Amino acid sequence: MLNPELLIRKGLPKGHFKDRIVRWILGATTYAIVIIAALLFLKIIKDGAPVIFTSKAPFVNFEFLLDKNETLHVFDDAQGVRHQLPASAYNDYLKGHNGVPIYNQQTFSYSGGGIVGPIVGTALLTIGSMVLALFFGVCAAIYLSEYAKQSPFIHAVRLAILNLAGIPSIVFGLFGFSVFVLAVPVITSAPSDRSWLTIPLFIGDMVVSFQGWNSSLIAGCATLACMILPVIITASEESLRAVPQGFRDASLAMGATRWQTIRTCVLPFSLPGILTSSLLAITRVAGETAPIMFTAAVAAKDDLPWESLANPWDLLSSQVQALPYHIYTLAARIPSSEYTQRAQYGSVFVFILLVMSLSVGSMLLRAKLRSRLKW
Amino acid sequence: MPIEISPSPENPHRFQRRGFSCERAIKYFFASNAGLTLVILLLIIVFLLKEGLGFFPGYRRELEIYRIAGLEFVDISRKNLTAHEQLSSVLNRAYFAQINGQCARELKRSQEAAAVFNAFSDQTSATRELIANHEATGMDRGSEMLATLNNNHACQKQKALDSLPLTPHLSDTERAELIESIRARDVTTVGDPPLVTALAQQYASAQQQCAMPIAEWRSVIDSFEAAGADLSALVTEMTDAVTTTKEAIQNNDILENDRKSLLAAAANAKDPSERQKLMAEARDSLAEKPDIEGPMQSLMLRKPDCIATHAALRQACEGILAMLPPSLSQSDANRLLLAARKASPLFLEALTGTSQQITQWRHDKPVPLSDSIRSFLTGKDWVTGGAWQDFYGILPLLAGSLMISMVALCLAIPAGVGAAIYINQFASPVEQAVVKPVIEFIAAIPSVVLGFIGILIFGTILRDLSQLDGLAWVPGFPIEERLNIFTAGCLLALMSIPTIFSLAEDALNNVPAAFSEASDALGASRIQTTFRVIIPAAFSGILAAVLLGLGRVIGETMVVLLVAGNRIKIPDFSAGLGTFFQPSHTLTGIIAQELGEVPLGSVHYRALFVVGILLFAVVLGINATAHKFVNRTTN
Repeated sequence: MLNPELLIRKGLPKGHFKDRIVRWILGATTYAIVIIAALLFLKIIKDGAPVIFTSKAPFVNFEFLLDKNETLHVFDDAQGVRHQLPASAYNDYLKGHNGVPIYNQQTFSYSGGGIVGPIVGTALLTIGSMVLALFFGVCAAIYLSEYAKQSPFIHAVRLAILNLAGIPSIVFGLFGFSVFVLAVPVITSAPSDRSWLTIPLFIGDMVVSFQGWNSSLIAGCATLACMILPVIITASEESLRAVPQGFRDASLAMGATRWQTIRTCVLPFSLPGILTSSLLAITRVAGETAPIMFTAAVAAKDDLPWESLANPWDLLSSQVQALPYHIYTLAARIPSSEYTQRAQYGSVFVFILLVMSLSVGSMLLRAKLRSRLKW
Repeated sequence: MPIEISPSPENPHRFQRRGFSCERAIKYFFASNAGLTLVILLLIIVFLLKEGLGFFPGYRRELEIYRIAGLEFVDISRKNLTAHEQLSSVLNRAYFAQINGQCARELKRSQEAAAVFNAFSDQTSATRELIANHEATGMDRGSEMLATLNNNHACQKQKALDSLPLTPHLSDTERAELIESIRARDVTTVGDPPLVTALAQQYASAQQQCAMPIAEWRSVIDSFEAAGADLSALVTEMTDAVTTTKEAIQNNDILENDRKSLLAAAANAKDPSERQKLMAEARDSLAEKPDIEGPMQSLMLRKPDCIATHAALRQACEGILAMLPPSLSQSDANRLLLAARKASPLFLEALTGTSQQITQWRHDKPVPLSDSIRSFLTGKDWVTGGAWQDFYGILPLLAGSLMISMVALCLAIPAGVGAAIYINQFASPVEQAVVKPVIEFIAAIPSVVLGFIGILIFGTILRDLSQLDGLAWVPGFPIEERLNIFTAGCLLALMSIPTIFSLAEDALNNVPAAFSEASDALGASRIQTTFRVIIPAAFSGILAAVLLGLGRVIGETMVVLLVAGNRIKIPDFSAGLGTFFQPSHTLTGIIAQELGEVPLGSVHYRALFVVGILLFAVVLGINATAHKFVNRTTN
């Protein structure tokens, strides 16, 4: 009985039961959230994992990951054997069994084959938008943390960052649609009707026409980059500010210019932090659907983005499939049945796996970084 | 080694002399990048306004056509007709609810038996048809094939028999009998098993028996329905006339626009001969004004007719509605009957007021711009792409968004704030280390995946739950649609919990340690310290967390697009708490759903941008309030 707390609170205090009950209720709420989240993950893993992983070596179903997306045909042959074939294999089958009738045919859009198109499209969109957002975002953060003094301009910029961060993603979709798809300038020899301003260049019959980039990879990247910019700026500024002031003072005292100081004494130390937090931004970019619905994504596409292009730059102006949009299509536009489940749960599982590995990666990296960089 | 002489202030480098140096250029480069955020925000505002503001004049013109073509006049009568139809549908529903409520047992038994048989025949239909095909073609390529098919059929039959749905309302012997009769079925057997037929007959006779005592009421409903026939005929007749006028006016508008663009092209044309040609073309396309007055005059002649029909309808309905029974035994039916009783005086009043409305209506009353703004902000219909008239009223969407947010916040505030208090005040370090990352993990789930979960998993679970007899007391159960406001609200709650949790936890963390130490020193228990000292101190931070959560919920698109049910209608609030189990549409969902389908620059397209502006303003307002609260704590 040497513990002073026990001496003071001798016996059960008056409100002990109330105390216990309140604590229990709060704890139950917390764990209910955790359990619901866990159940959801388990359900998706249970239904999705069998699509991706197999019991035989090499244990991964590469067909699903590497095949193109197709329509699924389900039918019985005369022997009553049920076939499930994607469109290309189905056509081969029809050719191979010339004239033999098939029965009970059903077709399921988007459910056959694999999901390589959406995966590649999401990767391209993510890379493109992160390149844009990191470039502009880090530059802006350098200005905010290294150069800026209190001024109306800085105040306005901070307010803009705060407001941009709160804008709903669908409004970014509207913005991207009206600006990048319909209004930004392009250099072309055949201006479209909707162009609201054309400026002749006097080189051949080239004109600068404000007619937009159409629904394309580059328009989607630009929209996503605008959406993620405030996140990148805030995170980058934080890691730039984490570099001790002494580094800068020492460098400036040695006679280095401000740019030399930034390049050699600030950026190298803050770069790991910037990249780590941008991993988290990647999960958001990869997961967004609303901004790319009208600016870049397309539900069905036969070719991979780089196939059948006249020149490499056309890649930027072609539409792509995207994993989140593909999932939206699978969930909203086709009825659920035993034949579509493979495509539905498989896609969601791959998507969750992708996003989760990115976010776990960023968490681990951040923890490692915190333990390593201490000054 | 020569010492490099730095330029003295009197004699600066030639770049510096002009106020320009490499260092400065770098600085301005970075500054311009920071300014990019401002540019983006401005571009968002400018382009939303540019596309959106054209909506109001365009919508005004549509409303003007609506008036001068006489559609508005017809809608006065049509509104009453719709009210009449709705009232009779409510009465009918009450009637059938009464009957079905009384023979609910027979209904369920019959449905269950039929469900068992349907499940069986659905699963075995494929092989059965194959056999039938085989026999029909008459190809006797050996019974070997037939044997395979028969074998397949037997396998499928066994599989189907093993996975029959449950039948809680059938006794065990009945179920066994039913399964036995199904098992005994041959490939060629047609018709339902005897038990299914018997139960259906039982149900039909029970229905008849229940209908007997309220046969009088049936005739009341029938006569009420019949009373609307005159008005219906009148409205149909007038509809044809005014639609023609409207089309004529719209075509004229299109021609007029073409002519204007031709004239504009002519003004810009450099070549005089081309200009002449364009001018001539414009002159040719000058369409004669469509005849508005003629049809309008003939429509005005119908005014007395309309008034007379309405008066007759009112008289008939007043008599009939007085004959409604005072109450019904089944609670569901009684609720509907009460709703009808409540609505009937309003309906009669509307009928009375109509004659005055009809006499006062004028087709040449001007439509000011404020009318289009008012019609947008207070309109109860969002009707697009119809043959009659497009209306862009924001209320159904706003109601859906608000109700979904309400459900989400009601679930997310207790859960998020409660978890934050627990983790911050009571949890052990191990618990903290486990729970915090898990909740932050939820934030990383993409919203489209949550929508997928809602549409394929959660909605089905909710519907199955609502059909349990034990839960029938919950208002709104059993639910009609598995995708509804409540489903969407639950998923959005899950989505906003991480936001609310982490911000509220930060707020609790920011309370100075001295507060709790002082409270401890005064002998307060842990609970007292938490609820009387720490939470009040962190209150504005928690409020900010909740507001930011709300901002996220209102702006969320994919979950509501997939899960809210997408029915554009103001929810029927007479259902009480059951209102939350109705499908609905939202501000964000409508943009995502319709923007891909509308023609560029049309009134509909612009209306979507106005919805975007509204959304932008609402969310920014919420966020600004939240940041005010955050600043209050930090100060």
